[in-house]
Amino acid sequence: MELNGFHCDGEGCAEEKEEEPPALMLPRSKTETPCSLIATPGADSEAAGGSALREQRVSKSTPVMLRLDSLKKNRPPFPWFGMDIGGTLVKLVYFEPKDITAEEEQEEVESLKSIRRYLTSHTAYGKTGIRDVHLELSDLILWGRKGNLHFIRFPTHELPAFLLMGRDKHFSSLHTTLCATGGGAFKYEDDFRTMANLQLLKLDELDCLIKGVMYIYSVVSSGPPECYYFEHPTDPERCEQKAYNLEDPYPLLLVNIGSGVSILAVYSKDNYKRVTGTSLGGGTFLGLCCLLTGCSTFEEALAMATEGESTCVDKLVRDIYGGDYERFGLPGWAVASSFGNMICKEKRDSVSKEDLARATLVTITNNIGSITRMCALNENIERVVFVGNFLRVNTLSMKLLSYALDYWSKGQLKALFLRHEGYFGAVGALLELPNPS
Amino acid sequence: MKLRRCSRKPAFPWFGMDIGGTLVKLVYFEPKDITEEEELEEVENLKSIRRYLTSNTAYGKTGVRDVHLELHNLTICGRTGNLHFIRFPTAAMHRFIQMGRDKHFSSLHTTLCATGGGAYKFENDFRTMADLELLKLDELDCLIQGLLYIDSVGFNDHPECYYFENPSDTQNCIKEPCCLDNLFPMLLVNIGSGVSILAVYTKDNYKRVTGTSLGGGTFLGLCCLLTGCETFEEALEMASKGDSTNVDKLVKDIYGGDYQRFGLQGSAVASSFGHMMSKEKRDSISKEDLARATLVTITNNIGSIARMCAVNEKIERVVFVGNFLRINTVSTKLLAYAMDFWSKGQLRALFLEHEGYFGAVGAFLDLLKSADDT
Repeated sequence: MELNGFHCDGEGCAEEKEEEPPALMLPRSKTETPCSLIATPGADSEAAGGSALREQRVSKSTPVMLRLDSLKKNRPPFPWFGMDIGGTLVKLVYFEPKDITAEEEQEEVESLKSIRRYLTSHTAYGKTGIRDVHLELSDLILWGRKGNLHFIRFPTHELPAFLLMGRDKHFSSLHTTLCATGGGAFKYEDDFRTMANLQLLKLDELDCLIKGVMYIYSVVSSGPPECYYFEHPTDPERCEQKAYNLEDPYPLLLVNIGSGVSILAVYSKDNYKRVTGTSLGGGTFLGLCCLLTGCSTFEEALAMATEGESTCVDKLVRDIYGGDYERFGLPGWAVASSFGNMICKEKRDSVSKEDLARATLVTITNNIGSITRMCALNENIERVVFVGNFLRVNTLSMKLLSYALDYWSKGQLKALFLRHEGYFGAVGALLELPNPS
Repeated sequence: MKLRRCSRKPAFPWFGMDIGGTLVKLVYFEPKDITEEEELEEVENLKSIRRYLTSNTAYGKTGVRDVHLELHNLTICGRTGNLHFIRFPTAAMHRFIQMGRDKHFSSLHTTLCATGGGAYKFENDFRTMADLELLKLDELDCLIQGLLYIDSVGFNDHPECYYFENPSDTQNCIKEPCCLDNLFPMLLVNIGSGVSILAVYTKDNYKRVTGTSLGGGTFLGLCCLLTGCETFEEALEMASKGDSTNVDKLVKDIYGGDYQRFGLQGSAVASSFGHMMSKEKRDSISKEDLARATLVTITNNIGSIARMCAVNEKIERVVFVGNFLRINTVSTKLLAYAMDFWSKGQLRALFLEHEGYFGAVGAFLDLLKSADDT
């Protein structure tokens, strides 16, 4: 996938060109003032690097439409965000330019500067916002600028607080397009407008997901490999993560495990279909765990699951057969009935919260694995990539999926994972920035 | 009534047994054409077994005879009588075996045909505790043979098979009898403790397509944990009163409406139990809501998997059996709706009155067949 990059000599300059998404090669506005979007001639023009710029003076009273129209012909003004408002989490990617010249910095509006400082000098925001520093991509070239790509998340129920912050920081005065995907882009569209005077550019979550996956995979060239799989997943001594080359990715089965699950068959970068989905996803795991164990967060639920033993909770084939169900190749250790032992009071009294958390994790994970396997079989696809924040810090599920897919397909299918897990939708949204509709 | 030819009849009593993960299903043939001489010669324990089974509808604390399912005037192997349907929890198995010992069952020298996992698991117990030898049969073979037989003899002149007309209208959908004229091919979904899905092409040609461990045992197990209930009946009772939309996160909760691009209505569930990660919501829902959400989640998952199999196997008829559906109209209607809706009317869900007993019937038939072979 070609980058929207274009050689930048560090001056923040660019050649003039007619608008042509996605490669934006137009003068970027040096002056981030409310009244203009484009570099104006005169006192500011030295900073433009002397190239022939198509410049226009835009007055304060110019209607929004004209501004948006002009915007189309230019590299988008900072800040560059992509947002994915999901059922449980909001994922935000933010591009921090590192090639800001001294003049640029001088002219930079205060609100933009403060946003940049706030985001990059913290790794936690409020009580629930987190910046995943280990996922940061440094020295990325995007649309002619060089900088770092940051990955931030916070719970969707904190969105009102986020909007208030946007309002307080006068985000709307920056007249930047806010590209947003996920259900929340639709659900909260009005709130963005009324609470923070922000217009969202709404994008489809699955389009963004695929674009984001392809882009990130193509730009990660150093550091830990983006795509990996597990070898010997169930052997604690020998299990290791290994890099996987996804250069020739198609066809691919993409399983996005968020609050719920979507399964996509991807044939080429522009050709995919949503095969099916299941409502038993990450939200089910967390919801059931909270009810069964009294925990409150995903991290707590996972910690408990790590300590527990699901075989006391589940009814296995051997509990029913006394051994294997040989006729149909079901080994005694396979689960016949998830939570099946819990119909018995004695057993209920003998299991721990950790066992219940583990059983919930195993049940949800195996169900996803099973449905995935059926889809892979029917679509005739051997490579399965699992993404989504259900897998964040959840090696247990990743190993289970690896094992299950391999075992039940007799080695035909391979489970693959991506480091940037749940952020691809937000990245895909970011990539739409040059194309306001 | 289809007559079954037998050159040699097996000795009474005639039983078929299906020892499942949660329930034991027992079918018992009560001869009604016993002649006076026969009665005179009948051994005492055989008589007492017959009397015990037919004069009670409950056995001990947990055994139940489903009288409404009894088949009257069945002629099989040259004998005429009633076929009874009895169930009790597998947890009571040892007590059952002891009863068999106390009634000197082994002295009757009858073959005890048994299927289900328990036929393997308890084989030794039958031998050591009651001196009884089991003839072990495969549960899926028995399921299919049992189903075909009951369908062929009919349910006391009523159809065994039914479906729902207008399944999308849950208030007004009507139960309609259905003739399984052209049975094959069919997708058979057996929902017991766990689920098996079979593609049946002819009476002797079938394959197990897949299964899922999220079955009836999951529903009951989770309900017991979440609501404090103890029995399937209690769990269903609670579920019938609850509202799962308080527990589940729907598409409209995430999108504010439909997710039009991929045809997902706002009312579809996006994330089962998805609201339960919020303390506020956890505090506001009832046990009935939780029971309902558990039922809906398990049922819809089975429906979804069944639909995928039907599409892949290119089969339009999906028959649901198993005791998860016993007295469970919420699930049967939900399955009927899901099959119809998600397939845009291509698939039809069918149900059978004898639900969870087909394995036991299949085992019973094997008893008569084995008499033939000897």
